[in-house]
Amino acid sequence: MDSFEWVDATSVEHAVALLGSVSEPGGPIVAKAGGIDLVDLMKEGVVRPARVVNLRSIEGLDRIAFDEGRGLSIDALVTLAQIESSLEIQRRYRALADAARHAATPQVRNAATIGGNLLQRPRCWYLRNHYFHGEGVDAAAALARGEHQYHAIFDNAECALVHASTPATALVAYGAQVHLAGPGGRERTVPLAEFLRPPRFEQDRDTTIEAAEILTRVTVPPLPPGTRAAYHKQTERDSYDWPICDVAVVLEMKSDAIAAASIVLGWVAPTPRRASASEQLLIGKPLTEALAREAGARAVTGATPLPKNRFKVPILEAVVRRTLLAAAFGE
Amino acid sequence: MNPQGSTPNENDAAVSGPGAGILTLVVNGRTVQAMADPGATLAEVLRYGLGLTGTKIGCDRGACSACTVWLDGEVAASCMTLALDARGRQITTIEGLGDGATLHAVQRAFVEHDAMQCGFCTPGMVMSCAALVQRNPACTLDDVKAAVSGHLCRCGTYPNVFKATLAAAAQLRRSAADAEGRR
Amino acid sequence: MSAQKPPTKTQSVSYGIVGQSIDQVERSVPENEPPPLPANASLKVIGKPVDRLDAVQKVTGKARFTFDVQLPGMLFARRVVSSVAHARVVSVDTSEAEKHPGVRAVHVLNQPLLQHAQLRDEKAEAARYPTIRYFGQPIAGVAAESQRAADAAARLVEIVYEALPHATTLEEAMQEGAPLVFPGPTEQPSTAGGGGAPPGLPQRGNVRGPDTGQMFGLPRGDAAGAVRGADVVVDAEYRTQVQTHVPMEPHAMVADWREDSLTIYASTQFTTSVRDEAADMFELPKSKVRVISDFTGGGFGAKYGIGNFGLLAINLSRKAGAPVRMVLDRREEHVSSGNRPDSLQHLKLGATRDGRLTAIELESHGSGGVAAGAGVGFAHALMYPCANVSQQQYDVFTNAGPCAAFRAPGQVQGIFALEQSLDELAHQLGIDPIELRDRIDTGPTDDARARKVERQIGAEKIGWSARRAPNADGGAVKRGMGMAQSQWVSVIHPPTSCEVRITDDGSVEAFTSAQDVGTGTRTVLAQVVAEEFGLRADEVGAHIGDTRYPSGPPSGGSRVTGSLTPAARNAAYRAARELAGRLAPALEANADDIVFEGGRVGVRGAPATWMSFKDGVKKAGVTEISHRAVRQDDYEGYMMSLPQFAVGRHGIGGVQFAEIDVDTETGSVKVRRLVAVHDCGRPINPKLTESQIYGGVIQGLSYALYEERHLDPTSGIHLNANIDQYKIAGSREIPEIEVHILEQLGGQSSTDARGVAEPANVATAAAIANAFFNATGKRIRRLPLTPANVLDALRA
Repeated sequence: MDSFEWVDATSVEHAVALLGSVSEPGGPIVAKAGGIDLVDLMKEGVVRPARVVNLRSIEGLDRIAFDEGRGLSIDALVTLAQIESSLEIQRRYRALADAARHAATPQVRNAATIGGNLLQRPRCWYLRNHYFHGEGVDAAAALARGEHQYHAIFDNAECALVHASTPATALVAYGAQVHLAGPGGRERTVPLAEFLRPPRFEQDRDTTIEAAEILTRVTVPPLPPGTRAAYHKQTERDSYDWPICDVAVVLEMKSDAIAAASIVLGWVAPTPRRASASEQLLIGKPLTEALAREAGARAVTGATPLPKNRFKVPILEAVVRRTLLAAAFGE
Repeated sequence: MNPQGSTPNENDAAVSGPGAGILTLVVNGRTVQAMADPGATLAEVLRYGLGLTGTKIGCDRGACSACTVWLDGEVAASCMTLALDARGRQITTIEGLGDGATLHAVQRAFVEHDAMQCGFCTPGMVMSCAALVQRNPACTLDDVKAAVSGHLCRCGTYPNVFKATLAAAAQLRRSAADAEGRR
Repeated sequence: MSAQKPPTKTQSVSYGIVGQSIDQVERSVPENEPPPLPANASLKVIGKPVDRLDAVQKVTGKARFTFDVQLPGMLFARRVVSSVAHARVVSVDTSEAEKHPGVRAVHVLNQPLLQHAQLRDEKAEAARYPTIRYFGQPIAGVAAESQRAADAAARLVEIVYEALPHATTLEEAMQEGAPLVFPGPTEQPSTAGGGGAPPGLPQRGNVRGPDTGQMFGLPRGDAAGAVRGADVVVDAEYRTQVQTHVPMEPHAMVADWREDSLTIYASTQFTTSVRDEAADMFELPKSKVRVISDFTGGGFGAKYGIGNFGLLAINLSRKAGAPVRMVLDRREEHVSSGNRPDSLQHLKLGATRDGRLTAIELESHGSGGVAAGAGVGFAHALMYPCANVSQQQYDVFTNAGPCAAFRAPGQVQGIFALEQSLDELAHQLGIDPIELRDRIDTGPTDDARARKVERQIGAEKIGWSARRAPNADGGAVKRGMGMAQSQWVSVIHPPTSCEVRITDDGSVEAFTSAQDVGTGTRTVLAQVVAEEFGLRADEVGAHIGDTRYPSGPPSGGSRVTGSLTPAARNAAYRAARELAGRLAPALEANADDIVFEGGRVGVRGAPATWMSFKDGVKKAGVTEISHRAVRQDDYEGYMMSLPQFAVGRHGIGGVQFAEIDVDTETGSVKVRRLVAVHDCGRPINPKLTESQIYGGVIQGLSYALYEERHLDPTSGIHLNANIDQYKIAGSREIPEIEVHILEQLGGQSSTDARGVAEPANVATAAAIANAFFNATGKRIRRLPLTPANVLDALRA
């Protein structure tokens, strides 16, 4: 890994100003929080910054707060380990706690921040190899005719890359929003589902964050009482692994019946995908084994798997069914 | 940090790098200095700047945990930690575990239960297991598996790592109970 | 080799499995051979679970691996590797790299690459630079004052390629008209102790072979005819995947070229091979080459010789006049340092209705990339008596990294097929799989005898009687139990010798050039020596890993313990007898009556004469006693012997049982329990032996369920050349593993120790696959058992 300039940001405004300054010739200016994604991309030679703006030095950007009225607020520098161990999140937003708990390794969770986690680039082994960023190399074509086992089974005609964040699956299911700070004190709030955009080899970011913006917070609306949720990450290896797929289910209940459902599928589409047809099926009904089975079937209807990732389809169907049942009947 | 004379930024903050500068760290309770540039990882500075080769690098991508050290008592992948990010933190390496001449309970248990073979992944494993038993002396087998879930060992020491860690935890509980009893 | 046989005597030795039945048999042994050892229960140090002598160094981080060696003035190196899968190299321009600040030397490889297959006719491809045959093939090396400088300079080397078409998969490369990896027939020399393929075989396109098993006396009888005439035939095709070694310490070398010597610190499994290959490549006398290896962080077959990276490191050191550290990064380690070839096996078994094996007919293809060595082992020829056996084993070249020997090379792939077909045969015949093995595993060798006992023990421990009919569970998750057997050869390194030294203060030391890859060389050496002197193992200084010490065996072929301990014991015995002889006059006794026990020495039956061992050495007036002993031949001789390699008449067995759960909706397989029952002759240290068996089982499980190399077809790039996407077993993949070790005395050497590392790795995948059939009623003949492959198998 080459070296670079390093600046410790002292505040959000300072960080924004640094990111917005004209970059030196020889490379971009990038922000770094936990550094887990950035250091990997740098070691692979995919990203060669001229300057790194250290966000970890910003004080007060690492809090978790909960309020009955406003819901959950997680500052961008909160680590996955902190999310995993937050009693408040475990109790009230268990799908998120579970997603954090199953992400990466204990060591990585201690360093990785929620901001960095949402902003990370795909784990695709084409994208993370600098060869495929070379002149005249058509990475998307190589992926399409090559090893796309762990890539999208929906919306994959143009490019089969998928977002990597598994906490995103849960957060989208909870209706999370991201908060961004930009130049001139500007702040904007975007639903996470819209913030993540389909990843592309040609892009240097796969969210709608702008060059001089910082993600400062993630907020999650309060949940109606009796809301039930579950999360499942299906992997090949249990110790730690990228998922075959992950599913988050959030059910708003009205006594026994489902008043509203949010079923989000991760690692199967370019961005976390709402299984809308499955959700609609459930409204107004109590969940049964048969209903869950049909919801699972609907979740994979319309899938357009590639030759080497067909196996994801039946697995996703089963995981949707099981996660629904876990949400409805689990503790 | 030594400024390296790049374009002054709005807030006139100090810029480090890209060349090397003097980095001050607290390692195993001592304040030390090494030359490092911003691209240096903590693992590199420990091993080559400070001669502490107990911490190994198995993959350099945070995927094997051989490089595990403690930052403020929590396990960290030192190969994925930029050295500058270790400023102001208590860094504990395998060399700093145990008490000079005495082995940590986990180290003793690893020896007794043959929780090693080639030994390359061992320092990292020991760091994670020691952190676990100190944090949770009542840990179960599942807790141990979770604590070392990021560690890869090709020689297959896991079964003995589990036994050793549970034995060390039991021993710590006994010592605590003894100490309690003596009060 | 001397023309005359040395004088011999007849010795009565124990033979059999301790706890089952032990007989006394007569052996003709060298005249000065020590008395036979009794069973372990009667010994003080041998057979005891002594703590590993270097354990404290390992748990404190003090163990110095080659990865850790830092010498004054040491430079850091980086290789330049190809960015194309198949090409002629038109030019290599190192001028910019040489100018980069901090760079002290650059070297471009200009000779045929080590480990690759070699063209029989070199002229078929005369070129300035070696042809590139896989993406990531080493081309050059740069040494600089920092790793960062070396890495940056390596990127400045400009290479012009003339690209050629490539073939990355076995099936593709086998086709007529496939792009040719080599333009003509090839030979595959062994990699300084590992791997290799039989010489002189025909080659058509990328397909080299067949190896028809002449070395094992094949073909036998008329296999094709016997298949046609058999009552029952099992005819099946199996597909196994490429596996990379993934030692946690990558290949590493620090080469220190001086005016009058070359010192090499190597992460190696055979120090002698590093010395010999360096001496050969650089035309140096071996006396000027020294190899040091204190600790090797895993090898598994890939760490023999100097490798191309070593060629570069030594050249760079010579050019720079400074020590050079060359360590492969994890990508390079996956791509260029070795792998277990894949296999496509078509296996036919013929049997009688009452379960006698009448025919084994095998055709196999496998790819070791640009190297040959994709055989599928010798179990077909040697394991089960069968009158009609034929095999045709082929190598198929592909544009991928070269294979290297990998823990039971070939046998793992072959047993996966053979033991599954036998399981299927049992099923077709309506016989229990264990009963079938009882009927066919009837050879006269120690391993067959051991397996009979191992089947019984394993069956009891796993609860085999509770095994149900296939597909017994109605729900999505199905549970099943399976078993499989292994056979490995007892390999001996005949030149092994060991020196034992007693110094005037009572220090006892033993010396061998052998290395430790994690099996505990120092400890077993010390135990065997300590036993002769009545000392504890930790009282013996065990010095290993230096080619200045007497020649020791490779850590491969599971041969260290079996080769080294008899030599060590013999040397210790002679030293002890000399000490006794020199003490005798002072104690006014016969030397034969002086014994060593419990750290003391004295005359048997005369307590007043006893003193501490140290005092005994002083009283004997010893300044130094030194004895060197060479490993004697196995008492019953060998099945096959070459100067550097001998195979015992008896093999090493092992039987494993697996209980698994298969989630038929998600394709997820979880191993719940594994019982591994193994023999290894006399276990010198059951704790270390058990660790080895855990290791083999876990590697076998990992190979069965998770490991898979992914090559991009368009570029030939190994995509998952890391260890999060190339998946090996982690903590949560580990089932309950129960290990049982037999103590089997074969009466072959003065310690009767045999190896276990490879046997432990051989049967696991087959046991899991057989459990899969029991769970689901479906065969899975394809590895790994990933969800994708499992779901395919369930739908078939």
